[in-house]
Amino acid sequence: MNPSATTDLAVTMSVNGRPVTRVAGGHMTLLRWLRDEAGVLDPKYGCGEGVCGACTVLVDGEPASACIVLAAQCEGTEITTAAGLTGPAGELNPLQEAFHRRHGAQCGFCTPGMLMCATAMLADGRERTRDEIREELHGNLCRCTGYQPIVDAIEDAQGAAR
Amino acid sequence: MNSEIRGSKVDELRIVGKPLARHDAAEKIAGSTRYAGDLAYEGMLHARLVRAQVPSARITRRDTVAARALPGVIAVLLGEDVPNNEISVDVPGQTIAVGALKARMQILATERIRFHGEPIALVIAEHEDALAAACEAVEVEYEDLPVIADPDTALADGACAVHESGNLLAEWDIDRGDVDGAFAQADVIIEGEYRTQFVDHAYLEPEAGVSWLDDDGVLNLRVATQVVEHYRDIAKILGVPDSKVRVIAPYVGGGFGGKEDMTVEPYLALATTHTRRPVRMQWTRNESLLARAKRHRNTMRYRTAAASDGTILAQDIEIISDAGAYAYLSALVLLYSSVHACGPYRTPSARIRAKTAYTNNPPTSAFRGFGGMQVVLGYESQMDELAKRLNLDPGEIRKKNALQRGDRLPVGQEIITEVQLAQTIDAVRERAGDKPAPRRPRTAVGRAIASNIQSYGRLVWLNDSAAAWIGFQMDGSLTVRCGVPDIGGGQASSLAQISSEVLGVDMDRIAVHFGDSALNPLAGTTTATRQLLMSGNATYEAAVLLRDQILAAVATETGQPVEALSLTPDGVKGPDQTTPVPAALQICRRRNVPVEALGTFFGPKGKEVTRELDGERLFPDFTFGTHLADVEVDLDTGELKVLRYIASHDVGRAINPLSVEGQIAGAAVQGLGQALLEEIVVQDGVNLTGGFFQYLIPTAMDVPDIETIVLESGEGLGPFGARGIGEPPIGPPLAVISSAIADAVGARPTTLPITPERVLECVRRGAGGGPT
Amino acid sequence: MFVKPFRYQRVESLAEAAAALREAGGDAKVIAGGQSLLPMMNLGLLDLVAMIDVSGVADARGVTQDDGYLHIGALTRHVELETDAFIASHQPLLRAAAANVGSRRIRNRGTLGGSLAHSDPAAELPLAMTALGAEYELTDGTSTRTVPASEFHLSYYMTALREDELIAAVRVPKLGTGWGWGFQEVSRRPGDFAIVSAAVLIRMAAGQIVESRVALGGVSERPLRLGAVESSVSGASVTDLEERVGPIGSLDPVTDTSASAEHRHHLARVLTLRALADACRRAEESA
Repeated sequence: MNPSATTDLAVTMSVNGRPVTRVAGGHMTLLRWLRDEAGVLDPKYGCGEGVCGACTVLVDGEPASACIVLAAQCEGTEITTAAGLTGPAGELNPLQEAFHRRHGAQCGFCTPGMLMCATAMLADGRERTRDEIREELHGNLCRCTGYQPIVDAIEDAQGAAR
Repeated sequence: MNSEIRGSKVDELRIVGKPLARHDAAEKIAGSTRYAGDLAYEGMLHARLVRAQVPSARITRRDTVAARALPGVIAVLLGEDVPNNEISVDVPGQTIAVGALKARMQILATERIRFHGEPIALVIAEHEDALAAACEAVEVEYEDLPVIADPDTALADGACAVHESGNLLAEWDIDRGDVDGAFAQADVIIEGEYRTQFVDHAYLEPEAGVSWLDDDGVLNLRVATQVVEHYRDIAKILGVPDSKVRVIAPYVGGGFGGKEDMTVEPYLALATTHTRRPVRMQWTRNESLLARAKRHRNTMRYRTAAASDGTILAQDIEIISDAGAYAYLSALVLLYSSVHACGPYRTPSARIRAKTAYTNNPPTSAFRGFGGMQVVLGYESQMDELAKRLNLDPGEIRKKNALQRGDRLPVGQEIITEVQLAQTIDAVRERAGDKPAPRRPRTAVGRAIASNIQSYGRLVWLNDSAAAWIGFQMDGSLTVRCGVPDIGGGQASSLAQISSEVLGVDMDRIAVHFGDSALNPLAGTTTATRQLLMSGNATYEAAVLLRDQILAAVATETGQPVEALSLTPDGVKGPDQTTPVPAALQICRRRNVPVEALGTFFGPKGKEVTRELDGERLFPDFTFGTHLADVEVDLDTGELKVLRYIASHDVGRAINPLSVEGQIAGAAVQGLGQALLEEIVVQDGVNLTGGFFQYLIPTAMDVPDIETIVLESGEGLGPFGARGIGEPPIGPPLAVISSAIADAVGARPTTLPITPERVLECVRRGAGGGPT
Repeated sequence: MFVKPFRYQRVESLAEAAAALREAGGDAKVIAGGQSLLPMMNLGLLDLVAMIDVSGVADARGVTQDDGYLHIGALTRHVELETDAFIASHQPLLRAAAANVGSRRIRNRGTLGGSLAHSDPAAELPLAMTALGAEYELTDGTSTRTVPASEFHLSYYMTALREDELIAAVRVPKLGTGWGWGFQEVSRRPGDFAIVSAAVLIRMAAGQIVESRVALGGVSERPLRLGAVESSVSGASVTDLEERVGPIGSLDPVTDTSASAEHRHHLARVLTLRALADACRRAEESA
């Protein structure tokens, strides 16, 4: 099917705690690999430039723009997406609960990326001011909320985690 | 607290008015909502458009042989392959001199290119990876034609015609009172010219969809859209009966007007019809920025005549808008600009001349605020300059001129609901307290307010209607079906809330089926801030019908007076007994009483407009509000920081306060983006804005918290007295930032976006001290 | 999306990468973090036959020091420049420059060598290296040569790298005693490419500037050292700077969608003055 001079290669990652191996073209970005090959659909395509943050996932715990990372470069890594925060029966984790309570999602398209940015932020245990939260969020664009409910939610979540 | 709600006149309600998490929120936050681009079918094909690389040309050659020969390529379609390649839109009000003016455009251009990015060919392939090379392999040759780069050039004598019908697409005239007399008698005259830019909707979800043929031969399209009723347009393009096309709108990743016109739909329809296979099309961000319709670039020349006490006597306004290459909704957008041009103020005499012209720029069409928002920059800049000239307080002069119930707009429409503009002005100013002092040397701080008026609901002569169906399940849970697309504003969730209120069913026992043109009653477009008014009222109507028929059945069965019965979460409550809902439903069954109901709401009516607008009711009603901003200007670099932002609107009734605050804050930030950052830059018809690294929407660091003060007059025409609030808050940021800069540095920016360079120009012109 | 498929090749050493580049004869690019390369691919600005992945090369990452220099492996990531203790104490200007790059996501994956080889004239790290007088070690797998930053960055996305060469490491002089630094940048939004940026090093004695290095980014096809400014501030104290630094000549800024050439010219002086003032203050603290 795939017509051109690519190298198909098998890549294995742990995706949300589940080992996944797929054989795909070496030119595949992590975003396409996750969405089209592995069926992990919550990271979104928003720009393909690493600017908007809708495709933010954690690669070994660090946030990355899946649209500008090659899947082949993620061999053996642990990938976490927003769906990986959610419990098996759809339970929300405390950060997700805070997004829910604070009306942090309107259209919801930026939400999975926002959640991963926030997860990385909370991971170091440091309590941030609202301005510091905004600083960390600046690489994740939202066009609906005006950001405030998202900042509120992260503030809540770090307060609860303390 | 950053947000507050004041002054409800409405009685205690159970669910409506409560700050509930929206019913769609949990799935979105869990990461499990499936958007238009998330669906995949076995054997699904992929499609992509070949787009024009030049803005104005005659096509001399199209050759698809090489592309079709590439491995994986299934088909390459041209305009000749489209059953009805030409679609036309009626341009209202422009019929007197020229007869019924139709504006035509092609699905795939065959002869003439009118804008950079116009679709020419549709490539369909087995695999997404084949598309880039195949699109490149489609050979197109052009003979360049002159480029019409702006409306002034378009309307000049002898200009090259973008369309055969001429470059003037539409014009509107409003004349009221004795304008020249008023100017002759005025104590003070304020003049100004204001320019707005091409703006992109920049929702996070680029245009996308999947199409397939179902077992009955019906073409299905599941697409990111604000309008499922486009199934009719698609049927026309394909030459099939309307009943053979179904459009499904899943949750949409942002619309803002950009998914009001068709985007991927015609191409998906063609691809699936041609191949009989499922097809996915996703536009890249680059395509979205390049070729989807933008917000109109307006030039607005204002003259305002006033008495020395600040009373407005007359306004003389000229508006020129850039319609881009095709008509789309430009004539209507310009109508909105014209009707809203004098703002929320009594203007006894007015002359408004508005024109929109074809150019070789990207097409322009619907965008949150729909022409009613650009003019805020005009009328509020004038109001601020007037206050300054007369040394009057900017709040008091606005209150003095504010429209009241019973006043008429220059177009003649009477204001029929209470206007709480003065209250919004007082609210933001009381909240703001004193203007802050500059925090650093070589900075200046400015404060301003800006008020606005924005319609909600469609133009009344469009004979708007919406329908919704509600049915009880036998276990007492509730199904709501309504065609409304949910574009992120909580459209579906508010229907659940309204049903819950009337029928006493808890929110978590209600399912809302929305956004489907075949299986749900049609509710019209999610545009024009109309869905709460229209589908909200339809749902309310269905709920009341359903409630009343159930109560009547139970009254008869139990011998209790129907007036004494109410539907509650516990069941039908009466003086003698409470009948649980499942039991009440069994009673209905026995008595041949339906346990479902269809509600249809018809919007206010009016007669079709003509070019000379006079005396008619054009809109159902209006929403009013005031914003306040404090800005800090770096006098050396021109960089600007919004220190504080407060927004107050009378929303009539906040069905869900969280949604209302979300709409206000989101619109304010989108307006701030237009004020300060965003522009689709087009040079001689070539769109230079290729990605999100160039199209700069606000980040979390570019805006402060948006403090909201929501007033509830209970005066709106929506359910429970609600007014529309989706669009209204987007206009004031344009003016409030401009005026705050003027306050800080002594000169006013009049061209958007107000880049640091433009701020520095003001610093140089103003009294605020020159740069080093 | 819609990228023409290319061949992906993972290499274990820079020599292997150089050999692969030779073989591809100009139609291949090296990928490390990919934070500049993949956006360009996705935007359709590049057409490649192969991508050679050096991100797994073990010995080209990390910061070491000797007498007067820091040695930084080309695969060192921006986040490491931002957090490395040697850099923080010996060349804080570099840390400040790295902290201004993009978002945390980009700094997590983007590498020093990648940014330098990409050679965007508005990028922070080429500017910092130009101001610092850094030297780049280039290798083709068999031989190594050293090129100063000022001779490496030639024009928009053009460098002194030969077709089969890679940056192996960067040698950065440590900040000496009595020196101070300043880094200033204006961009339309936080994390965007700079409209103009200024990097300054100053040595002061008895309240006067005795030595300086001044460089600007975003005002030409490459980062520019400003010899004329350096001469004009010689002997100046912090209060004289406004007077000493006139309009800055020899710039060749462009007009694009983010700023006009005139505005860049204006900012060049404003930011130079601010960076000079910061550097003077730090130099005095350090003395």
